Amino acid sequence: MRRNVRNISIGLVLALTLLVFAGCSTNEVNKTDDLETEKKKVVNLYTNRHYDTDEKLLETFTEETGIKVNVVKGNSDELIERLDREGKDTKADLLITADAGRLYRAKEKDLLQSAKSEVLDKNIPENLRDQDNEWFGLTVRGRVIVYSKDRVDPEELSTYEDLINSKWNKKILVRSSSNIYNQSLLASLIEINGEEKAKEWAKGVVKNMARDPKGNDRAQATAVVAGEGDLAIMNTYYIGKMLNSSNPEEVKVAENVGVFFPSQNTSGTHINVSGIGLTKHAKNKDNAIKLMEFLSSEKAQKQFAEANYEYPANPSVEPSELLKSWGEFETQNINLSKLGENNKKAVKIFNEVGWK
Amino acid sequence: MIKVRDIKSNINLWSILSLIFIILIVLPNLNIFINIFNESNQNWNHIKEYLLKDYIINSLTLIMFTGLFTIFIGTSLSWLISVYDFPFRNFFKWGLILPLAIPPYIGAYTYNGLLNYTGVIQSFLRNFYNIQVNQKYFNVMSIKGAIFIFTIFLFPYVYIITKSYLEKQSSSLIENARVLGRNSMETFVYVVLPISRGAIIGGVSLVILEVLNDYGVVKYFGIPTFSTAIFKTWFSMGDIDSAVKLASILMFLVFIILILEKFLRGRKKYSYTTSKITPISRKRLKGFKGKLAFSFCFLIFSIGFLIPTLQLIHWSLLTYKDILNIRFVKLIVNSLSIALISSVLIIIIAIVIANYCRLKNNFLSKIYSKTTLVGYSIPGAVISIGVILFFINIDNRLYWVYKMINKNSAKLVLSTSIIMLIFAYIMRFLAIGYNSIESGFEKVGNKFFEASRTLGMGITETFIKVDFKMIKPAILSGFILVFVDILKELPLTLILRPFNFNTLSTKAFEYASDEMIQEASIASLIIIIISVISIYFFYKAGNKEEV
Repeated sequence: MRRNVRNISIGLVLALTLLVFAGCSTNEVNKTDDLETEKKKVVNLYTNRHYDTDEKLLETFTEETGIKVNVVKGNSDELIERLDREGKDTKADLLITADAGRLYRAKEKDLLQSAKSEVLDKNIPENLRDQDNEWFGLTVRGRVIVYSKDRVDPEELSTYEDLINSKWNKKILVRSSSNIYNQSLLASLIEINGEEKAKEWAKGVVKNMARDPKGNDRAQATAVVAGEGDLAIMNTYYIGKMLNSSNPEEVKVAENVGVFFPSQNTSGTHINVSGIGLTKHAKNKDNAIKLMEFLSSEKAQKQFAEANYEYPANPSVEPSELLKSWGEFETQNINLSKLGENNKKAVKIFNEVGWK
Repeated sequence: MIKVRDIKSNINLWSILSLIFIILIVLPNLNIFINIFNESNQNWNHIKEYLLKDYIINSLTLIMFTGLFTIFIGTSLSWLISVYDFPFRNFFKWGLILPLAIPPYIGAYTYNGLLNYTGVIQSFLRNFYNIQVNQKYFNVMSIKGAIFIFTIFLFPYVYIITKSYLEKQSSSLIENARVLGRNSMETFVYVVLPISRGAIIGGVSLVILEVLNDYGVVKYFGIPTFSTAIFKTWFSMGDIDSAVKLASILMFLVFIILILEKFLRGRKKYSYTTSKITPISRKRLKGFKGKLAFSFCFLIFSIGFLIPTLQLIHWSLLTYKDILNIRFVKLIVNSLSIALISSVLIIIIAIVIANYCRLKNNFLSKIYSKTTLVGYSIPGAVISIGVILFFINIDNRLYWVYKMINKNSAKLVLSTSIIMLIFAYIMRFLAIGYNSIESGFEKVGNKFFEASRTLGMGITETFIKVDFKMIKPAILSGFILVFVDILKELPLTLILRPFNFNTLSTKAFEYASDEMIQEASIASLIIIIISVISIYFFYKAGNKEEV
């Protein structure tokens, strides 16, 4: 009996060790396979999106073109870091990530290259893509003011700049400045109003905060309804997500706040994109551009944007009914690359004024 | 001639393997130390001017208060359980270990989901009694909340170690105190606390190391500490040099704590002073006192285990239809198989080094033995930087080998594979496996080994035929501990996993950070269930040994 146990355990250990080595060697085999198929119809995509509807969309693409899409999902910052680490060995042809600030960082690190395509130029407006065509916005979100329907008359709201008005003292809810959405918002204000004014603005918002920044965008809307403050700065799609939450209480929260698009009569509402870029060392460049064109096309855009309750980047595609119910709005008229260019300045200002 | 014989007797399979393992553990850490003296860049100056102070204050606040509260809860519970008898004592004896089955990051988002505005408690008060509570009292996403979470899920470290010390060591002292007319409180303050100081400090330093290692809780609550700062500078700022600098400061902090631990323990080592174990005769608490003891234990058990588990079960019932599919099965298989492979490797390495060390027992072996413990004191964020730099370096050096095997081979082979993650697990958790195997060998002693050698068997043969069988319980308990720790591990897995490789813990954390708390519940529950089962077996195995 004992001997059996011993034999079994030794056998187990051996088997496991073999398994580990087998694991490594099958990886090797896969790699050669990949290299061979790379000349065939394949495109490799690194993405931060994780929606089931995306999979269906990519299947459609494969059916139409015969090009297989390999998807690798991950957190945006990690994907960029990974791409950087892999250098010219990377298997990725395309990178999809949220926020122009991040796309700019990928460009700055020399991870992307210019994609020349008339289709893309036609489908994606100029301000939603990189000046050198290294990335293209696919979906658009606004960073808006959400207010308590009980306590705030939307007539009182006007611009981002007005948020530092003393009437909002201890009324504003917003998340931490370590979040890229806030960094990009401030970057846009740096672009529009200049660095000094932007710093004054950040300082003023900190002064008017109802509490120290904590939680994510949804938590800010919840805090409005809970009465901790009257206004929250948040991205539009979170309202969509909350309205469709599996928690009925969250749905109630979303129903009790109003959406306001700031700065309509001045510089316009701050928008940002989730976008796609062709990697510097893409091995399947042609296939990759085909996929980019497909995702910017009218038939893909609707589904792609609606999966995350966002606005389509392609102007000929209508947004969903929910988004239409909030009304049309004027957007900031700056090239989104500026968000990336001003990012470092924005982060510095946040740290200097003590926006946690 | 004698010299050659010396060398021959010193070089064998065990010594060579031990040396290789030790070198592999040390090398990645060198990377960090070498980088400390790199010139600082602009980012670093900015961090130093505006952020560093917060990181230091927050990290210190967290470890100080968590330390104090875990000492209070852990010691008082172990005192109650070991010297008194009251209703359900036998259940609480092991039930109070269970909070350890819930990783703090899971506890964190469960409590937030429970207490926030849209959570069960507030919705209930609002919808049925129309009571609007002040959010201030229900907000766990703060530094106070983090201290609460760490305390309630980590106190069992203090409890377990102090309890086993009290049960084994203190009976005569406690009885003397009783005979000499001290009441319970006096006995506790003047006798129990001083004699179990070593055990308490041992437990609390484990708690502190866990707090410094944590990434999940502080990230979710948005508290800037060293571990979140390292991730942020590395990934968001893309500045690995500054990240390394932060890592080195954190290492420095850990070293101070370890030295402090040594100093505070003083000469009172936590070890057997006598081989004769007389169990304490427990005092029966009757009536009100008994109820009070029961209530205290039940309160801690509820907050630390029952309530969060019930909440997770509730959420699971809401979401299982969307979550349980074939992809989820793959998640479980991933988690279990990587935990299994890594645990087996850790146990094998631990056996090799421990066996070598006990047979040699010289200066070198003492260094080996200390080195195995290094990984556990280094926070995951630091290990991951060291391991990545190390593997990229290896890949660069081995490129020509890869090319020989496969002409088209990519350059980064090991550093994009799962081997890197397994390696990091080994570095971090070897200490746990090593500790239990070392204590196993200690109990057995060298007599049987020597007898077997005298009878003509080799070291390896002796190990297989004699030692292995005798330390089997130690191997089993070491394996269980390591297995559970790997299953729960978050920061290393989050950074070092290959793409498209998810485990239960990374998936739960991703859902939670994506603000899909209900969806995170099933993965969390499975981790908890497996941990509970393992803890139960571990507890049973420990009890058997004692008898």
